[in-house]
Amino acid sequence: MAFLEVKNLKKKFGNLEVLRGIDLSLERGEVLAIIGASGGGKTTLLRCLNFLEKADEGEIVVNGNSVYHAEAGKRPEVSLEAQLSFGLVFQQFNLFPQYSVMENLMLACKLREKKMKRTSLMKRCSKLLFKAGKLCRKVKGAKGGPAEPIEGAPKPNDIRSRATELLKTVGLSDKANAYPCQLSGGQQQRVAIARALMLSPEILCFDEPTSALDPELTGEVLKVIRSLKGSDRTMIIVTHEMDFARSVADKVIYVADGVIVEQGTPEEVLVNPKNEKIRSFLSVLKKDDGES
Amino acid sequence: MGTDFLSITLSLLEGFETTCTLFGLTLLFSLPLGLVIAFGSMSKFKPLSWLCRLVVWVIRGTPLMLQLFVVFYVPGMLFHVRIFSGEDGRFTAALVAFVINYACYFSEIYRGGIESIPKGQYEAAQVLGMSKWQTFRTVILMQVVKRILAPMSNEVITLVKDTSLARVIAVAEIFFVNEMDYLSRGLVWPLFYIGAFFLIFVGVLTLLFRFLEKKLSYYKI
Repeated sequence: MAFLEVKNLKKKFGNLEVLRGIDLSLERGEVLAIIGASGGGKTTLLRCLNFLEKADEGEIVVNGNSVYHAEAGKRPEVSLEAQLSFGLVFQQFNLFPQYSVMENLMLACKLREKKMKRTSLMKRCSKLLFKAGKLCRKVKGAKGGPAEPIEGAPKPNDIRSRATELLKTVGLSDKANAYPCQLSGGQQQRVAIARALMLSPEILCFDEPTSALDPELTGEVLKVIRSLKGSDRTMIIVTHEMDFARSVADKVIYVADGVIVEQGTPEEVLVNPKNEKIRSFLSVLKKDDGES
Repeated sequence: MGTDFLSITLSLLEGFETTCTLFGLTLLFSLPLGLVIAFGSMSKFKPLSWLCRLVVWVIRGTPLMLQLFVVFYVPGMLFHVRIFSGEDGRFTAALVAFVINYACYFSEIYRGGIESIPKGQYEAAQVLGMSKWQTFRTVILMQVVKRILAPMSNEVITLVKDTSLARVIAVAEIFFVNEMDYLSRGLVWPLFYIGAFFLIFVGVLTLLFRFLEKKLSYYKI
């Protein structure tokens, strides 16, 4: 079974069918590029995977676990684990403006840790109460159990060192204390990538990560994304950068009118597409390139 | 003249204390209550949002002076209970009316501020696994505060001056105290004296808001 499986995903906005049954599968560590004209459903597909939109129908399976399964218009609640198995980098970065770069990276982890501490504390308290109750009944025989370690929660030092390390990865170690408004678009997007990586998502998604950038800034962002391609980092990238898609992706899908029109290796889809639609889409892009 | 000045200053200070207390307590209660009403009117549960909007419409659509009378007299007239009796009771009645009135105005400012925060901020927080409450508390609230600072300063300054309306139910705020004195003796200058008090009060508030704005100017939204 593949690492990520999407089965028959459908999404409607009112009467408009944006996704009309998407099926795709991805192995661990693979990079998938999603291409297609505007309004075809690429972004909606990505948003459904990140639960920013809830698909009306279909199933999402990560690593053998069904994390989302909607049937007959019944849309399930999304668990935190399901949410965190996906990470998303937005077209508009969406950094938190009032926090420094470092704080942007650490915020979600810190909140998570606090919550875990609180729940484990509550568990401990309730256990203690339970024990106290027993004690009252038995009167004697009290024995304090050893303190239990907090499960799964990273320590604050871990969070900071991890953030520092990720900032180094995206080449912004010197900007740790800067605020988003002091950074260029390219730098902001690199911070956003680091922030998404802080929670170690199984699958990292990019929604047109360079579309809001000046042309001279796209290079630095693409370079960072390229550098993330590693043995077990699975990525899904919606992009209009065909050269980039060709060089970084293991797999390309062409989405139009809410369905996958063609899928295959970059060579198959981008160089020798079988479908007429893709050929005209690609040639329009090329013409634009030639003019600019 | 000398003794006049002293005695009027003393009585003025007394009234000023009431004015300040009314102002402070009104802010203390109406700021959070306004947020609650704002959430209510933005609620997806329609009856609640209609109710909140209706209340805001009524409160904003009628004079504050009328509301003061209603709060003070209506419980007694309709239910024959005297909740607000004595000097303290009058003050409480004024406080209740002010809190409700200002909470409604604040709620609309909050609502505007909250709705002006881009959707992307919520979405970014969601994909980072933050809960709705965490998102509001750590991401949205500070941005809202920055955005609403200017309209809030307007409203707060209006409140300073609105406190003088409390005199209609005989709360001994600054105006009330003075009127007794100077009208009977035909003195004009205490009027300007009161004006100076308000000017200084508002001046301090203006500086405070400017300080806050500066404090929050380290980032742009």
